[in-house]
Order: sequence, then structure tokens, then C-alpha cells
Amino acid sequence: MAGYLHVVRRALGQLGGHGGVKGLLVQFFRANDVKTGALIGVDKYGNKYFEDSKNYFFGRHRWVLYTTEMNGKNTMWEVDGSMVPAEWHCWLHSMTDNPPTTHPPEPKKFLAQVHQFNVSGSSKQYVPFPTTSKKIHEWVPPKAQ
Amino acid sequence: MASTAATRAAAGASKVVKPIFSRDLGEAKRRVRELYRAWYREIPSTVALFQLDINVRTGRDKVREMFDKNKHVNDPRVIDMLVIKGKMELQETIHVWKQKTHIMRFFNESEEPRPKDFLSKFYSGHNP
Amino acid sequence: MLRLPSVGRALASAVKSSMALNTVPVRAASNMVEVFVDGKSLEVETGTTVLQACEKAGVQIPRFCYHERLSVAGNCRMCLVEIERVVKPVAACAMPVMKGWNILTNSEKTRKAREGVMEFLLANHPLDCPICDQGGECDLQDQSMQFGSDRSRFTEGKRAVEDKNIGPLIKTIMTRCIQCTRCVRFASEIAGVEDLGTTGRGNNLQIGTYVEKMFMSELSGNVIDICPVGALTSKPYAFTSRPWETRKTESIDVLDAVGSNILVSTRGGEVMRVMPRLNEDINEEWISDKTRFAYDGLKRQRLTQPMVKDDAGQLTPTTWEDALTRVAGALQSVQGNEVAAIAGGMADAETLVSLKDLLNRLDSENLCTEEVFPMSGAGTDLRSNYLLNSRIAGIEECDLLLLVGTNPRYEAPLFNARIRKSWLHNELRVAMVGHNVDLSFTYDHLGEETSVLKELANGTHPFCEVLSAAKRPVVVVGSSALQREDGAAILSVVSSIAQNARTSSGVEEGWKVLNVLHRVASQVAALDLGYKAGVDAIRANPPKVLFLLGADAGCITRADLPKDSLIIYQGHHGDVGAPMADIVLPGAAYTEKNATYVNTEGRSQHTRLAVSAPGMAREDWKIIRAVSELTGVALPYDSVEEVRSRLAEVSPNLVRYDDVEEANYFKQANELAQAVNQELIASPLVPPQLSAKDFYMTDSISRASQTMAKCVKAVTEGSVGEPSVC
Repeated sequence: MAGYLHVVRRALGQLGGHGGVKGLLVQFFRANDVKTGALIGVDKYGNKYFEDSKNYFFGRHRWVLYTTEMNGKNTMWEVDGSMVPAEWHCWLHSMTDNPPTTHPPEPKKFLAQVHQFNVSGSSKQYVPFPTTSKKIHEWVPPKAQ
Repeated sequence: MASTAATRAAAGASKVVKPIFSRDLGEAKRRVRELYRAWYREIPSTVALFQLDINVRTGRDKVREMFDKNKHVNDPRVIDMLVIKGKMELQETIHVWKQKTHIMRFFNESEEPRPKDFLSKFYSGHNP
Repeated sequence: MLRLPSVGRALASAVKSSMALNTVPVRAASNMVEVFVDGKSLEVETGTTVLQACEKAGVQIPRFCYHERLSVAGNCRMCLVEIERVVKPVAACAMPVMKGWNILTNSEKTRKAREGVMEFLLANHPLDCPICDQGGECDLQDQSMQFGSDRSRFTEGKRAVEDKNIGPLIKTIMTRCIQCTRCVRFASEIAGVEDLGTTGRGNNLQIGTYVEKMFMSELSGNVIDICPVGALTSKPYAFTSRPWETRKTESIDVLDAVGSNILVSTRGGEVMRVMPRLNEDINEEWISDKTRFAYDGLKRQRLTQPMVKDDAGQLTPTTWEDALTRVAGALQSVQGNEVAAIAGGMADAETLVSLKDLLNRLDSENLCTEEVFPMSGAGTDLRSNYLLNSRIAGIEECDLLLLVGTNPRYEAPLFNARIRKSWLHNELRVAMVGHNVDLSFTYDHLGEETSVLKELANGTHPFCEVLSAAKRPVVVVGSSALQREDGAAILSVVSSIAQNARTSSGVEEGWKVLNVLHRVASQVAALDLGYKAGVDAIRANPPKVLFLLGADAGCITRADLPKDSLIIYQGHHGDVGAPMADIVLPGAAYTEKNATYVNTEGRSQHTRLAVSAPGMAREDWKIIRAVSELTGVALPYDSVEEVRSRLAEVSPNLVRYDDVEEANYFKQANELAQAVNQELIASPLVPPQLSAKDFYMTDSISRASQTMAKCVKAVTEGSVGEPSVC
């Protein structure tokens, strides 16, 4: 009986824990999930990091709710895994149990100061190009006067 | 050489040819119908077996098209030969001796015929 | 194609040789000695060297310094062989055989001698085969594998020699040199320049130019081939490919009119290098530097797609359909005689015949070649008038050579090498009327005025005595001398000189005296096919549509034509012709097509496709065939075989490959030439290529070549250029 009660309580908590019906729907459509958990921290961009290791198995127990605006880009619906900064990445992927809120990471030169979006699939993406010289150099007609 | 030509001429004159299976056109047509029925029944399992991206209707239309391609033939020997070839195809399909790509080759319409005359050869490349 | 005449000629020569055989036994008694090679009996002439006798018996003796076409040096000692009952091993290349000798080419002593020599050679030779450009085609590498020992007893340090910088073509790595002196002998004997030599003795012997200077010869590239090790290698080819990676195609050179036989090495659709191919009748085993090194011009300034001028007058790339439709439209919109064509110096016979057929179908006869040739008198009607009738190999049989207004050293370097060979070995006497140029041999300079020719013709010149005393005289007139305004008069007077020399010498009927030395590869084929020489007709009667077939000499410019005329350029390089054209059709260069060329002797040869034409470029005759179809006068041939049977219809000699059709009617040509009513101009006979700097860049391919540009720079500035890296 107590088990059923617990389930009902969690369901109610999840339905009501996002700020009303609108918040619930937004959460549902943005994250495809409505689970609630303890807020561990918020990074400088506004991404929120949650943890609930009691009710979820390992691998689902930490998650991120992305910010809605990042470096001038609207990320309400277009979110990207690369939006997680390096210091939170470690914690989020369970490489460590110490969130950067309690254990600030050492500043490293190679860590990006400002987040850069992943440009794969966009027009700015990297395309490999040949670096060998041309076998045939064609004639370029002179410009007409 | 001359003797074979002579026998061929003699055979042509008397119209006596050794039949493959069918003795007349009606029998040949019966064999064609049998083959068509066999194909018609086989198509649904072919589509399922090869996991083809077509529906049964398209497959049956293609079978009909392949049969229609030879509908001008009315020599029983030729029809028999075509039926034999059709049966071979069918057997290979039933036993999955073919692969998906071999089946889908019947639906290949993108193949361009090789250029024949000088000008189109010239346009298409160096030494076609 | 049946080659009946050549069969007939072969039979005739067989008869001749059988007659010659009849005379042999008479000499044989006195001249032949019997020797044994590994116990096998062999009859050879006295004076034959041991090495030649072994060669005759089919036994190859290893050698480094010995080369068939050079004098014997005998300093590498690799050819040591044991001779039975002779105490010491002898150097086979230098030792004449004696009666009854038994040469042991594979005895214990011989093998030990070879192994010892190889050990000494390798004592100072670097072990850098993996980074050596000669690797894979190195005599030392091959012979050390075959005859050398598998270990060395030398623990001392190796000798190192400073690299020499001898110009932009040849890279030297002198540490690899084994002092065979082949290059020194080549330079002094074949090339006729005394640039290379040896300094020091013994271990300190070095090959070089003594002071840093360019190895200045038009045949310098051949030292790369004769160097048995990697000491002299090609600078442009350095570190680019290995011999086993390349595909070799036997072809013909078209950068001069000699038609040298070449081997084109290609890898991955790119010409890596050009090497000579043996042809005793033309180039022996040498090629000129332009032939060898101008191949990088095939990769630059290429026309790779059809272009048409847009409204702003700018050439813009387009499709073949568009370009050909425009050409066909232009040809259809004008009258027959308003169309004209000019063939350039590198057009092949297939293209020439299809262009002529096309224009003839459009009722036009205005087909010209860029090169001028006098058309009055017999003109180009008699082949004897425009061929090098004596042939290149025929120079070795003559005893007096009169050069008129030519510089064979740069116009036809291999012809010049042949003259030098004959001058050196057969005591050929050479005389020259024309500019006093530096040939690689001495000659009697008779003056450069045309009046000298007149005096020679009417017998008042002192040299006439020598001329009339000659047994086998040859007169060679340069094509540039015939391109002056008084060309016909010069041809007439030269043909009289030749005719007089012929009568006075009493030489047999088959001997040819009058010769013309051409400078471009297409000229003889074009004249054989009935092209008019020179563009005067076009200048006099400007056409509305002008078809330039690789015409890059710039003899017709926009200014010569009416404003609304249309110029079509077909060729492989954007050089002189393409910028002034309205429509540019990209064709194939000589390494990119199977095409027929006729050299200045009248010898037809064909190039073979080594790489495919770049981009959208097509074989030239196919372009013209396609134009003809769109114009509505389709030419009746679809394959190169059909074009060649058309060639055979027009002039059968064009498809009898590697065969020279004899020209005759010299007397008639001379009589017709007498009728020429033209006065000689007093100005001196000066050929256009005077010194080495005029040699390197003469056509669209060599003008596009960076290597050739470096050569010109090195020659004009007298510097050797930057030293090679490594």
C-alpha cells in the first residue's frame, strides 16, 4: 500500500512540479520527460542540472534542462548536446560525483571560455578538401577590356 | 557447312521443327498462364521475404509488364524458351538464390543506354 | 593497310645484301679470326674487341664505362674477363681479340675479378638507393646484385664529394659518381661542348665543370640516361616517381620537325617524364632537351573546356553542345569562300585531313599552314621540293654538306648531332651560307649574303671547286630562309646549286642533293595533304570565319581581319591563338592522342595515347567531325581507322608508318624553279634561332613550360640557378 502511495505521490509531484499546466507541457515537449529531481546547480548559461539517484537507475539519474537562450541563439526548441560546458560534462556523464558547484574545476587553457555551437550539418561545417596540387593547370582567359 | 545449311533449308521447307515442350500455340499459352499464376502467387511472399520497399500491387504490375513485354511472340518454341527462363527466375526468387538488389533490378529505370552515334559519344566522353 | 611498297623495298634491300654477301668471303680469308667464347667457336673481324665478340656470341659482359656510341675509356674495370692461357684478366671493352683466344666469361677468376671491382666501386658509393632517383634503373644496383659480393670488408669512412650545380636540368649528386667518364665523353664527342671534364687523380678524381657554370648543350639531358649510377639525374623529375610505378608509352616527339622517338612515362594520368627510344634512322638514342624537359608545359595553360565570348567580350566556359552549335551556325551562315583555316605547327595529319574535308565540303579552299613555303615554281606540288630528301641517316654517307640559312643546332638538334658524328668520324666537310652561328663543329663560312648563293650557282665562287669535287654532296636549306619575301628565288638558286653539284659529282641516280630542313612537326603532312603554305592568301582576302587549328605563331591577328569576323581556335594551350578567338575548342596535345605526324624527311610516324586529354578536351579530329555533323556536311568517318583510310586515299605515304616515301623529279623541280621571276634581296640570311636562348621556347607547349623558362633564364643571365635541395 505504501508502495502505491509512493507512486501516486511521485506522479503528483511530477505533474505539479513544473509550474502549472503550461510549465508541465513545455517541459514535456522540450525534454520529452516530466521527471523531477534535486537541482544540483545552474551553469553560467542557465542550463539546470538535476539529480535523482533514488528513483532512477544509473545512467538516468542525472539530467540537464537546457537554457532557452544561449550566446544570442534561441535554444527554446533547438537544443544541442554540446551546450553543456566542459566542467558540467564530467559530472553529467558520471565521470565524477563532484559537481562544479562544490568542487570548482582548475581553469585550463584548452577549455573554451565562451560556448561554441556545434556547426555540423550547417553551412559552416568543416568539409575535408584535397591539399595536393592540381595535375593540370587550366588556362584562364584574360579579362576583357 | 553447306550440308547443315541444306538440312536447315529442308527443315524450313517442311516446317517440321522439334518442339521444346509445346506442340502448338495453345499449349504454349497454357504454360505461360501457369507461369504467370505462379508468379502472381509468389509476389506477396517475395515482398515479405526480401523486405522490398514496394507493395504487392507494384510487384504484380511489374510481373504483368514483364509478361507483356513478350506478348508479340507467337512461336511456340520461343514461348517455351521464355517460359523456361521465367521459371528459372522464379525458382531463384523462391529459394532466395537472389538478393534484394537482383529483384530491384527489374525496377531499375535509371540506367542510361550507352551512346551509339558519333555525336552523342563525343558529348559523353573521351572514348566511349 | 597493305604496305606493298615497303615490302618491295625490303625485297630489294635483301637482294642488295645478298649481293653484298657475295663479296664477304673474299675478305673473310684475311679479315676474320676465330675466337672461342666459353669454348664456343666464333668468327669475328680483326680489331673486334673482346666485349663485342662476347656480345656477338650472346654473352653480356658487365660494364660501366663502355658505351657503344662513345669512345672506349676502359677505366671502370668491370668488364674484366679471363682468357685462357693469359696471365691476367683483361678489360674486355678495350682489348682486341687475337686468333684462337678462348674467352672465359663465367670462370672462377672472372667472377672473382668482377666481385673485386664491384667491392672497390661500392667502397666509396653511398648506400642511398632508397632515396636515389636512379633506384630501379641503376646499372650499379643491378650489377651489384648480379656480380657483387654480399658483404664488404671496408670499414673506413666513405669519400664524399661536393655536388656541382650545372644548370636547371641536371641534378648532380657527385658522391654517387663512379668516374666512368661517360658524361665527359658524351659532352665532348656527341654534344660537342667541352664543358665537362675531370679534375684530380686517384681517389680525388672528380667530374665537373671546374668553375661553376651551366652545362650548356641542347643535348645535355642525355647524360642522365648514360650515367650508369644516380650521379646525374633529372632535376624536374627528382623525387617524383619510380620507374616501376610508371607506365611507358612509345610515342613521337612533335616539338621539332625531326620526329624523335620517345618513351612517355606516365603515372595516374600525368606525364612524369619523357625518355628517348632507339631509332637508328632518326635520333639514335638521344633526344634534345626541349623534347625531354618541356613535358611540364603539358600541365600548364591548358584548355580544358570549350569557351565562347559573351556580350562583354569575355571568354566564358560553356558546354560542347553550345560551342559546337555556335561554330556550326557560323559556318552555315557564310559563303564557302568566306571561311578559312590556318593549321599550326603541332596539328596531326588526321586533323588536317578532316579539316580540309570539312572546308572543302563548304566550298572553301582557303586552307593554309602558318609556316611559309614558296609556292611559285613547282612550289609544293613536287614533294622533292620540301623534304629532307637525303634523310637524317644519309648525312653519314655524304662527304660535303652545304647549309643555307639554317641553324641546325637549334632548329633540329638531332640532325645537328648526326652532322657532327659524320664530321667527326667520316671527315664530312661542312660549309655554311648564312649567319655565322655556333654549331658544334667547324665549317667553312662562305658569307651571309644572298649574293654568295648566286655566285655558288653560276660557278664564280671559290668554293665551287670544292663543291664540284665532292663525291656525295648534300645541300640543306633551312625553312626559315624560304620564308623571306624572296623565298622562291632562294629555293630556285639553291636548287640550281644542288643540281650543279649533282651533275659534277656524278653520283648515282638515287642520291638526293637538295634538302629542306623544317622546324615544325605538322608542315610536311600539311603540304602532303594539299594545304597552302603561308597566310598571304588570308591576308589578301580576309575571311568572315577563321578556323585556327593550333595556330600559335601569331601570323594573323585581329587587325588583319574585318571587325565582324569570327575566330575559332582549336588547340591545347592558351597561348597566342586562344586569347583572340571568339570560340575556343579544347583539343588534345601530342601525348593525349593517337595521331600521325610526318617528319622533315617525309617519314610518317604516329604518337600513341599516353594519358587522356584533360577535362572536356577531345581528340582534335573528333572535334572537327562533330562540327561537320552539326553543320550538316557530316564527314564519312567515325573512327581513327576510318580517318586513316581517308588519309591513305589522299596520300598513301601518310599511313605507311616508319617508312619514307622517296621523292623524285628534282630535275623537273629545278627547271620549274628557274621560271620563278623573283630577285634575291640583299639582306643577309639570318635564321630566327641564333643562340641557345632562342632554342628552348618555340611553341605553345615549351612556352608554357616552367623548366624551359628556367633554362632561358639560366642562359641569358649566365647563372646556373638555385642549387637543388638535397
